[in-house]
Amino acid sequence: MTAEGREVIRIGAEAIVSRLTWNGFKLISKYRVPKPYRMPELDRWIRDRRTLHEAKVLHEAKKRDVRCPAVVLIDRSRSEIYMTEIEGKELKKCLGELPVRKVGKLASQLGEMVAKMHISGIAHGDLTTSNIIMDQEGRLYLVDFGLSSFTDEVEDLAVDIHLLDRSLESMHTEVREEFMRSFLKRYSEVAGREFTMKIMRKVKEIRMRGRYVEERRREVRNSYNQ
Amino acid sequence: MREVKVLGIESTAHTLGFGIATSRGEILANINYTYRPREGGIHPREAAQHHSRVASEGVERVFRESGVRPGELDGIAFSIGPGMGPCLRVGATIARALAIRLGKPLLPVNHGVAHIEIGRLVLGCRDPVVLYVAGGNTLIAAYRDGRYRIFGETLDIAAGNCLDVFGIRAGIGPMPAPEVRAREGERFHPLPYKVKGMDASFSGLLTAALNLLSEGARLEDVCLSLTETVYSMLTETLERALAFTEKSEVMLVGGLARSRRLREMVEAMAELHGATVHVVPSEYAGDNGAMIAWTGVLQLLAGQEIPVEESRIRPRYRIDEAPAPWRERGL
Repeated sequence: MTAEGREVIRIGAEAIVSRLTWNGFKLISKYRVPKPYRMPELDRWIRDRRTLHEAKVLHEAKKRDVRCPAVVLIDRSRSEIYMTEIEGKELKKCLGELPVRKVGKLASQLGEMVAKMHISGIAHGDLTTSNIIMDQEGRLYLVDFGLSSFTDEVEDLAVDIHLLDRSLESMHTEVREEFMRSFLKRYSEVAGREFTMKIMRKVKEIRMRGRYVEERRREVRNSYNQ
Repeated sequence: MREVKVLGIESTAHTLGFGIATSRGEILANINYTYRPREGGIHPREAAQHHSRVASEGVERVFRESGVRPGELDGIAFSIGPGMGPCLRVGATIARALAIRLGKPLLPVNHGVAHIEIGRLVLGCRDPVVLYVAGGNTLIAAYRDGRYRIFGETLDIAAGNCLDVFGIRAGIGPMPAPEVRAREGERFHPLPYKVKGMDASFSGLLTAALNLLSEGARLEDVCLSLTETVYSMLTETLERALAFTEKSEVMLVGGLARSRRLREMVEAMAELHGATVHVVPSEYAGDNGAMIAWTGVLQLLAGQEIPVEESRIRPRYRIDEAPAPWRERGL
């Protein structure tokens, strides 16, 4: 595609993300780079499948009223997706500067969006505050659906909430409780109480299995035999 | 500093091992007895019975071959977990008996940490991202804040287990048979490739590979497809962890570190990131007594001895639950 001013903004382990302008539109390109360590057939297959999958999830999420980038073009020969740029700031970077009353509102806005996504059977897969963008009007958007899945497994959906909570725990301890309370209140209004309870039971279970968690250690300690 | 010597006993799964290491980093003996089931996988009770049978011969040999007298030891280390309960109990019992009889400190070693420490010792890596892959374990770890943290791991079965079970069910036996057969493979069949962040899942892959075989696909082609998929998944999760931790060394430990193809892939990946690759030599790749002895030395120097009453085995002991205070001191 003819585009000007390609500027690389992130080199991830899997893809190179760059910003460019096309006919006056600001776009983001996500190019999944070939990995020389994989067999060429396998490498092509994985990159192609992930590219198509990501585009499909973005499209489905949009249909369900989830704010996320719109797919503009897919270049299958290169495993590259072009999508609209979401202009704003990562929630990770601005959450600390917001007044407490705004935190609740944002959390509730996010709760509604994630609930809509979850009841349509989409799990984001990497729902941390770095993948949530806030625009100038205070609207939230979800980005980077690289690890997302279409799923009816409670586990996958619960992982989203677990990851969100963990990212708040590590970066925004002071607002975590308030954020999660408002988030879950709205989530439950949209997704239903029963659905939410089912997910939250799983979230608790995941925490127990978790890696650095005290609760789990106690649990394990009690289960030693001999 | 006075030189110390520690006897280490390994018994988490199919291997009962004895080793003696010194604080100068010498391995004076490394004697291992491996239980090989006549068919199928490891039966914990049968493995434990095997360990009991060879135990006293092993204890005699480790002293004879190292030339160390029991009284010269400064500590007795044993793998306290993770592993199979009946097997762990054999090693723990020998260790407790020797510690009481000789009046020496008892040192509880985490089996996974020992795989990492023996690798660091013999390869001279300082601060690697570690891929620990074996029949019973698959995880990616690196040191941070006083202990080895797990950055990625299997969500279900171990990668080695996936390959072993496939080999056994396909009638060619466990690893390395599937990898050897893969060299005659020509056609690649796509199989479920499940990577979630730095975690991976192997059980669906195993089922799919077995199905493919029963549908009449050529054995060598299935071996090729399976091994390539498993190793690619491992290499990709390792790549993510390497990018995330920004370290410059990669270390491969555990039984599957013997795989030539896996090593090749990890080397190609590391080159992209300017990292060096260190692969544990074969004699220390599988479970062995020397790794427990050496980690015991580190733990003795760090003051991690425990009283016999608190030496219950820990079959589900994760490496991120084991403090590694010697790392702080640059050991």
